[in-house]
Amino acid sequence: MTTVTDMVELARSSCVLEVPATVGALGEIATFVLRLAGAAGLDKGAAYRLRLAVDELATNVVMHGYRGGGGRITVRGRSGPGGVQIVIEDTAPPFDPVEGRLPPAPGVPPEERRIGGLGIHLALTSVDEFGYAHRDGRNISTLTVKAEGTDRCPPRP
Amino acid sequence: MPLSVSLSIEGDTTVIELTGELDAKTAPDFHRTIEKAAGHGTQTVEIRMAGVGYMASAGLRSLVFAQQKVANDVTIKVVGAIEPVSRTIRTAGLDRSIVLSDE
Repeated sequence: MTTVTDMVELARSSCVLEVPATVGALGEIATFVLRLAGAAGLDKGAAYRLRLAVDELATNVVMHGYRGGGGRITVRGRSGPGGVQIVIEDTAPPFDPVEGRLPPAPGVPPEERRIGGLGIHLALTSVDEFGYAHRDGRNISTLTVKAEGTDRCPPRP
Repeated sequence: MPLSVSLSIEGDTTVIELTGELDAKTAPDFHRTIEKAAGHGTQTVEIRMAGVGYMASAGLRSLVFAQQKVANDVTIKVVGAIEPVSRTIRTAGLDRSIVLSDE
């Protein structure tokens, strides 16, 4: 059985995108992620989830991490038959998305809602695996979406 | 990735039609249109999203903003959203106050 670890081994040479931490760069990140999703054969739903997760985390770095002060975001990606793994790195102040998530509160009136933390919640609930580390002054988030579209055990007729 | 936004009035409904992708870069255009729509004072604001292939939480922020801008008795409808977009709206719990409709 192919595991995600095997997949990473298969695609040892990761693709790297480095962009300025601006809202304008989000489209470039999306294109990069969707290309990897296509290479891994992710189905439409899985590709959408991956894009949404990376977009939300990158947007958070742009809006809240660097606080408009400029900086860069590095996105590394590996794709293989088991799925796609994306690593997002930035040098903004330490921020662990798992601690910063804000689960939805449907009972809260619209005027009192905070949407920022909800974006992170969307990101974390869109991926199959998520990890965070802070190392050498860098926030490192690792996201994995598995290729459910390439089911090796198709349903019996 | 561009977003096109159009605004029109059909009877007592203000119609906002979106086509393209709704993310942190493009949501401000939607936001501005909502402000105009809120000024029209119709009973319903209908947001047609069949042409939206992607929506991030920035789009949710705009929908919350719409709820805040219109009067309490105004209905906000989101029409034709594709499944992942309506899933995002439901995840935020906005389907409790916004009418999600397929047609």
